[in-house]
Formats: sequence, structure tokens, C-alpha cells
Amino acid sequence: VAAPDLLDPKAAVHNSKPRLSFSTKPVVLNTPDDDCDTRTTVMRWKTVTAIFFLVVLYLIIGATVFRALEQPHESSQKLNILAKKLEFLVEHSCVNSTELEDLVKQVVSAVRAGVNPSGNLSNQTSLWDLSSSFFFAGTVITTIGFGNISPHTEGGRIFCILYALLGIPLFGFLLAGVGDQLGTIFGKGIAKVEKMIKWKVSQTKIRVISTLLFILFGCLIFVALPAVIFKHIEGWSTLESIYFVVITLTTIGFGDFVAGEKGSLEYLDYYKPVVWFWILVGLAYFAAVLSMIGDWFRVISKKTKEEVGEFRAHAAEWTANVSAEFKETRRRLSVDIYDRFQRAASIKRKLSSELGVNASMNQEMTPGKRTLSANLCEDRETYPSLKNGSLYLNGLSPECADRQEIAIIENFK
Amino acid sequence: MHSVGRSWLLLTGFILFYIIYLLFGALVFSSIERPMEDKLRHDMERLKEEFLNQSCVSAASLELFLNKVLTANKYGVSVLHNSSARSNWDLASSMFFANTLVTTVGYGHPTPLSDAGKAFSIVYALIGVPFTMLVLTACVQRCMQPLVLAPVNLLQRSGLKPRPATVLHFILLLIVVVLCFFLAPAAVFNVVEASWSFLDGVYFCFISLCTIGLGDFVPAAQPGQQYRALYQLAVMVYLFVGLMMMYLLLRTFHKMADVHGLTTLLQLPRCEESVLEEDTEPIVNNGPSPRLKDKPASKPLDPGSQPSYNSINKG
Repeated sequence: VAAPDLLDPKAAVHNSKPRLSFSTKPVVLNTPDDDCDTRTTVMRWKTVTAIFFLVVLYLIIGATVFRALEQPHESSQKLNILAKKLEFLVEHSCVNSTELEDLVKQVVSAVRAGVNPSGNLSNQTSLWDLSSSFFFAGTVITTIGFGNISPHTEGGRIFCILYALLGIPLFGFLLAGVGDQLGTIFGKGIAKVEKMIKWKVSQTKIRVISTLLFILFGCLIFVALPAVIFKHIEGWSTLESIYFVVITLTTIGFGDFVAGEKGSLEYLDYYKPVVWFWILVGLAYFAAVLSMIGDWFRVISKKTKEEVGEFRAHAAEWTANVSAEFKETRRRLSVDIYDRFQRAASIKRKLSSELGVNASMNQEMTPGKRTLSANLCEDRETYPSLKNGSLYLNGLSPECADRQEIAIIENFK
Repeated sequence: MHSVGRSWLLLTGFILFYIIYLLFGALVFSSIERPMEDKLRHDMERLKEEFLNQSCVSAASLELFLNKVLTANKYGVSVLHNSSARSNWDLASSMFFANTLVTTVGYGHPTPLSDAGKAFSIVYALIGVPFTMLVLTACVQRCMQPLVLAPVNLLQRSGLKPRPATVLHFILLLIVVVLCFFLAPAAVFNVVEASWSFLDGVYFCFISLCTIGLGDFVPAAQPGQQYRALYQLAVMVYLFVGLMMMYLLLRTFHKMADVHGLTTLLQLPRCEESVLEEDTEPIVNNGPSPRLKDKPASKPLDPGSQPSYNSINKG
């Protein structure tokens, strides 16, 4: 009998009765076969719905906070720009409102297509030169999808779909491979450290500490350092740099801040490829950390299950033994009572045979004695047929007999 | 030793192939999009000249004005038609934004303006993304039984061998998903959104469900949209269910690859359930895999793939 599943109440109830006889060996612990069973049986519908509602709640909370934070800003921006527009119209009286709106509309759609109409347009670098297209292809495949560049032709869009269909799995393989290598390196490092440590520290402690170190170190290299670099090169504030790093490495990729896309700055040639390389390794790092944490949780939950399973096994074994002993005692008790009844009955028989008929006429004819005499008269040899009426044979009235002992004797038969 | 060397070789192979793939994509995008961009640029220049010619506006003040307009527009604030009626941050829109944040789609329109909003986005995303991945995994795990294992079992019982059965089932599932989650919603978007064509709808569905989320198309962004809150809620639900289906598709594909021995061949992390729970389809090749990584661990990369950073099979 395997250790019952923790989260499944039905299983717990079902397994709690010790169905063991005291002769067989008690429970088996968590077998390896239970691994996937526990994982696939862990998430019951109730748990899933609970988590789902939690997510919805999380979203609602996020929505209210965002609204509270952002709406005032938005309103002030709106007022600002409207004021500017009116100012412009007033200042330049030959422009009428509709012309202006027209111009603005066209400008906005041009910007959406990536063309920036401000400044001298001729010497602007194209958004679709090779390095930028390379960057765009990278953002599509990693599913970051900044969106500051996006295809506008029909052909471009169709190609984008097909390209992503093939490219995302490819990038997935790559990331899996890099993450695996990172994990292996890290695991080997931990093993070496464990060997080196002479004093006795528990393995879990070493693992915990080294994981924490790994996370810290990785954060330093992949989050803090790039943020500082971006701050200096792009001219963003600290918060904006960290914001960009987090939004990029979680592949959300809003696109309000994009490294290497500021038209006014002169970038070194190798800036963009380095950024792309950083994205790749940073994503792999995130992947490795999360899978490590996931492994951890799995091991912890398995260990907990095992321990709880062991505990339950012990408890079950103990209850089984106790009840077996109890049964044994009851059995002995019932045999004992039976013996006593037999002895008493044989004594009574002797007595009654000695007393003869006189005794029966002088005494009160209780039902028991009537039966007794009747029985005695009829058949002396069929001694105690331990049926329902058997107790009456030796003259005991029903009130004296312990109900339980009656039951025992009946059961024993 | 040999397997370690082989895994390194495979990895470098993947990297090289990946770079080549990127270069190829860059070339194609460049050649398709660049002419259009040049044309647009010329149009803009002409427009500006015309405007400046017929009015008393100086170039400098026009530039200034345009810059301001564009900055405002970047944050979703439009200067046209006194459109102050709807906000980008009312409750439904904020919820939509939170949803795009948490599923890592990230359209980028609108984006948080204030510093506090940005800081909160960071924290919110760091917590919410793994959480959402967990939910998606859990849901898909529950869906595997009725949608994948049972039909494959059925197919097998009706006489097919395991390998063709899995392939047939995968193809059927693919067709159903494409119909219900790409073509049908695209038709709906075509009707509801005034300026989207059918192809735009399909493009939008694909870009959203792969969580790329470029942001060039965002639903419910038109000024005169009716029932905006309801529409946004519907799109949110569609995104979530669509992501689940993509992930389910991915899992099915992974299992199919397992059955065909592909994952062992390429030394990819294996679908660990397949070793133990697969009593309906016998595993053809039970070869050694270097390590069984934990798939259900959360992975914010792409909910369409396994929710485990480490074991990404498809995007």
C-alpha cells in the first residue's frame, strides 16, 4: 500500500484503515513509480480552479494599482498636448485645425511605420538595414517582440508568421541547450565545492547556499551590469535601465525603451550584436534559475511526501499491530469464555443428573431451566450447540451474559 | 565522455544554425520592407514641404510641435479630435495591460508613464509571470487526459499502430486549433475592428498567441469603440485560452517526437511524464537522456512552449 496522496482527501480516507492482517508485512514507501503519478495527480481540478481564481484576483489587483498610478499622468499629458496644439494654432493663424489634424495623422502613422519625420530625413539610417533587421528577427524569435519596428507590407507580415513558426522552436532548442550547459557547469561546481568542504555541513545547506550565490552572481552579471551600461550609453535613468532589463529578459518586450534604437546617438558597430548576445545568455540564465528552483521544489515536495509517507506508514503499521493484538486478545478471551461455559455446563449436567426429576419440580421453571430440562431429557449428547439458545443450557439467564461475549462466541463459531 | 562531446557538438550546431537563420531572416525582411519605408519617407518629406509652403509656420516650430505630439502618441495620448473621452487606464484597460504583462505578450501600447508605474511593473511581472505559467501548466496537465491521451487510445484501439496514431492525432489537433483560434477570431476581428483586414487579424492572432506581441495591432484601440470593456475582457479570455491550446499543441508534439525517438536522437530534454505515465503508447526508444529537466517549472519565455525555461522545445 503506497503512501496516500497528500492533496487528495479521498485517498487519505480510503487508505487510513489498516487493511493489513498482522501476518503480512506493512506498507511500502513512495516507489519511484509514484513520481509522475504524484505530479499528475497533484493538480486536482479544485487546486487548479483555486489557482485560477488567484490569478484573476492578481490581475484585478494589478489593474487597480496601475489605474491609480497611471491615470493622473495620462490626464496631465492629455491636457498638456491639447494646450500645445491650441497654442500652435493661435500662434500660426494661417493653419487651420483640419489641416493640422491631417498632418498629425499622417505623421503618426509614419512613425508607426518607423519613419521619423522630424529632422532631416535624408541622412537618417534606415530601420531596415541589415543590422536592424537582424535585431528585429532576433526579437521575433525570442518572442520578446519590442514592436518599435514591425513589418508593414502584407508580404512582410506573412513572412513574419512563417518565420516565427520555424524560428521560435529553433530558439527553444538553443535555449534548452544553453540552459542545460549552464546547469551542468553549475552542478559540477557545486560538487567540487562539496568535496572541498571538510567540515560537516548538511548537503541541503550547501545546495541552498550555492543556489543563492548563483542567483546573486547571475543577477550581478546579467541584470545589474547591463543596467549600468545602458544607463551610461543610452542616457536612461537607473529605474528605466532596470525596467528595460527586466521587461526584456522576461520576454515581455514593450518597446518603449529599446537598446540601440535612439536615432540621435552614435553607436559602436559591435553594440547591437553584444546586446543581442546578452539577451540570449540572460534568457538562458533566467531559464536555468527557474528550472533549478523548480527542481528544488520538486525535491522538497518529494522529500516531504516521503517523510509524511513514512510517518503515515509507521502510523498505519502501529495501528495494524494494535488492532491485531486486540483481535488476538478477543479471540483468546472468547476461547476462554467458551471453555468456562463448557466447564460450567458439564458441572451443571452432572448436578442435574444427580438431582434428577425432583429438582426440576421444586424449582422455578425459568425459561432457561425449562429449556435445560427439556434438552437434558431429549438429548444428553448434543452438548453445547452454540447457537442462540445455547447460553440457556447452563442455566445462565440472558441478562448476565455479556452481549459482547455472546457475539464473540457466535463469531468464533 | 562521448555523449558529453556529442552534446557540445550539437549545441554549437544549434548556435550556428540559429545565427544563419537570423541572417536569413534579416535579409528577407530587409528586402521586403525597405522599399516601402523609402517610399513612406519621401511621402513624409513632401507632406512637410507642402505644409510649410502654404502656411506661415516655420520649420523649427513645426518640428517642435511634431516632437511633442509624437512623444504623447508614444504613450497612447492622441491629440486628434479632442479625444479625451476614453482613457487608456480605466479599469478594463488596466486589466488588459496587466494581462499582457503577465502573459509576457507585452504589446507596448500603452506603457506605464510614471516612475512608480514602471517600478510596480517590474515587481508585478517578476511575480506574475511564473505564477501564470504555473496556472497554464496545471490547466494543460488536466486537459491532456481528455484531449490527447483518450483520443490516441481510441485511435489505437481502432487498429492503428502507436506511431501513426500519434501523428494523425497531432494533425487533427493542429487543424482544430488553427480553425478555432486563428481563422475564426480573425474573422471576428475583421468585423469588429474597422481598419483590420482578414490577414491583419490572422497576423494579430499569431503574434499575440506566440507572445511576441509587437504592438502594431492592439484591439480596442479605436476611438469610437463600443462596449470597449466587454471587448477587452473577451480578448483577454481569448488570449488565455489560446495560450493554453498552444501549449497543449506543443506538449502533444513533444510526446509525438518522443514516440518517434526524436528527442533522444537530438539529446533534448525529454517529456518526463512520457517515461512513466505512457501506458497507452509504448515508448519506442528508451535510450538514455542526459538529464531529465523539470518541464513544469515556470518559464516566462513563451507560454506556447513548455513552461520551463530550461526545456524549451518550441516557442
